[in-house]
Amino acid sequence: MALNGQRRLERRWGWLMAVPAILGFVIFTAGPMVASLVLSLTDWQIGGTPAFVGAGNYTELADDELFWKSLSATTYYTLGAVPVALIVAFAVAMLLNQKVRGLPVWRTIFYLPTLVPAIANVVLWIWIFNPDFGLLNSLLRQGGLPAGMWIYDENMAVPSLIVMSTWGFGNTMVIFLAGLQGVPQHLYEAVSVDGGGPWHRFRHVTVPMMTPTIFYNLVVGVIGTFQVFNQAYVMTEGGPNNATLFYVYYLFRKAFRESEMGYASALAWVLFMIIVLVTFLLFRNARRWVYYEMAGAR
Amino acid sequence: MRRRQLLALSGLAALAAACGDEGSPNDVQLQFMYWGSTFEQKAVEKMLKSFEDSHAGAKVKALFTPDEYDVKLNTLVASGNVPDVGYVPMAMSYRLAEQGKLVNLFPYLTKYPQLAGYLSDAYLWYGRDQLHGVATANEIELLWYSKSAIKDAGIAPPPAEAGKAWTWDQLVSNAYRLTIDQNGKHPDESGFDPKQVRQFGISSSITYAAAWYGFLRSNGADFADEGGTRCLLDAPEAIEVFQNLQDLIYKHRVAPGPGQLAATGDDVPGTNILLKTKRVAMVVDGHWSLLDMNESKVDYGIGVLPKYDKPFTTSQVAGASAVFAGSKHVEKAVELFAFHLDPRYVDLYKLGLWMPQERKYYEDQAAIDSWTKNDSHPPEFRTAVVDYARDHGVPDLRVRLKNLQAINSDVLTPALQEIETGKRPAAEVLKEAAPKITSRMQGWHHKQKV
Repeated sequence: MALNGQRRLERRWGWLMAVPAILGFVIFTAGPMVASLVLSLTDWQIGGTPAFVGAGNYTELADDELFWKSLSATTYYTLGAVPVALIVAFAVAMLLNQKVRGLPVWRTIFYLPTLVPAIANVVLWIWIFNPDFGLLNSLLRQGGLPAGMWIYDENMAVPSLIVMSTWGFGNTMVIFLAGLQGVPQHLYEAVSVDGGGPWHRFRHVTVPMMTPTIFYNLVVGVIGTFQVFNQAYVMTEGGPNNATLFYVYYLFRKAFRESEMGYASALAWVLFMIIVLVTFLLFRNARRWVYYEMAGAR
Repeated sequence: MRRRQLLALSGLAALAAACGDEGSPNDVQLQFMYWGSTFEQKAVEKMLKSFEDSHAGAKVKALFTPDEYDVKLNTLVASGNVPDVGYVPMAMSYRLAEQGKLVNLFPYLTKYPQLAGYLSDAYLWYGRDQLHGVATANEIELLWYSKSAIKDAGIAPPPAEAGKAWTWDQLVSNAYRLTIDQNGKHPDESGFDPKQVRQFGISSSITYAAAWYGFLRSNGADFADEGGTRCLLDAPEAIEVFQNLQDLIYKHRVAPGPGQLAATGDDVPGTNILLKTKRVAMVVDGHWSLLDMNESKVDYGIGVLPKYDKPFTTSQVAGASAVFAGSKHVEKAVELFAFHLDPRYVDLYKLGLWMPQERKYYEDQAAIDSWTKNDSHPPEFRTAVVDYARDHGVPDLRVRLKNLQAINSDVLTPALQEIETGKRPAAEVLKEAAPKITSRMQGWHHKQKV
């Protein structure tokens, strides 16, 4: 079919407009990914010449105690941070979906922590967790409760960071809020007509209608928390005794401190595969509990 | 003339100009990369300026890199944009030397004879007649104290002569006198509140090897055996040293635990601030603190470290200085290298940041006076630092042991953190860690006489 002038023009400009995005992806994402895949098959220290070792780095990983340690620390963090963030964000979104006075102000307040730059946030929490003069222990002491060592204690470090991560639930909350506003009113009315109370409305309308949003936030949360880095980098340097040796921090340390680029690339690919696998499993499992109003619209 | 021709011509002219510049001796541009405190930055910049002044035609660009030095240097190496001269953390320097990224300075020792008269531990060899650099300065660990805190406690100040060094028990009992909670109580008085300590008696790092290596040697222990292939931290003498350090925090409660000094994360305030504010009365830290002590006008004194048997302190606690092989002006770069370490031209020694590496500055009276007879060096400096370093220094592990970076990050640091958090006794932790360290050991670095 011959294209007329207008359509040819549009086609050409369409491509042209898309070029920056495509180039950005190819140069800064796809290219480095391919490079790191190749590098992961080599023994390469910065400054040296890469030597091909096949799957050597990957087999070495299996015997690397710190690899397993970092994987378990990260999994621990994900298993804690994601559910807590989902529950808190959902609860606050429910509250902010009520018709109360000063609603925009409340919404702003709850969203504000998200706007704090990552490092400023971390520095603030270092102070909050300080065993001697931090906010948390001061409050506990005033309440006559035992104070903790928080991020300076091997067993408390990851739970402390989970608490801290919850603080930045603003984005998740906004998405929930949008979802809540999309729940059709007539369903609530139907429950009321049948004599149902608030619990029934929540259990039989809100939750089922929100499952796609919950699912979305779950997937995004899992992917994000598997890549947790700032806290380990700025607050704990992976300590104490490797308690917070998160995967990406370990990868960073291997790559840029020990300059083991080949090994670090292998670490990166293993993490990528883990995230792909977990996401795949989540989607498989989603069929059982996620409800889409328009069946087949997925 | 047509526009295109004009453009071509101007391009040629620019090219010619560029070539001309390249050939002119007026345009040797060097880069010097280094780390340090803000006071240090000023001092180093002054040193580079005086190089420019005394070497016509040489320009030096200072690359001050206070944080993440290894990460940034690694990135520069990966992209091929290395500086000409600079500090290199020793954990990296041996690797870079083996990769051919650092200039072998051995052939230059005849041209710059002052480089040939160094303390033997200062040289960083990576093979026979292969010298990749020197430890930038001969730093040692000392016991710094606040004079007024000592006076208030009514105790004698830490001795400034190795022969009179406190025993460990003397250190502990004095630290009790110097530790005060918010109500003015000492740790051995009833009602002492360890959560509200106003002034700690002593701070001595458990995770920083240079701070405890002298204690280890003083107690007749060592990190590794003669071949450098077996870790000896599980020996009873070594365990005693670490148990004593842990006890300072949890048993005697005279030293701060992890996080207790930090305002933000690992950013513990400098020793100068800790002493000036009397947050801590005595601190084990390196000689380099002298510059910051003087700059911030602390009422400090210098003592030698406590001893077990023979008194020892860790020496050569520094990074490497080296010349990068990528330099376009290697000869000039080596000249800058020799200059930046020469007490005749550089006032960093007089200011108290560095201790010289040339042997004569510890043996010859006039040479000793040339860097220590001034306002920044207190009267006790001669015995507490010059004599102490010469007769009681044991070189830091970083200038000697291979594969130390992997040993540190994989095993040693986590183990020491465990001791520091006080969850398990030193014996348990070290007995587990020692075999793991042994499995990562690769012997000592090459050593030879110049």
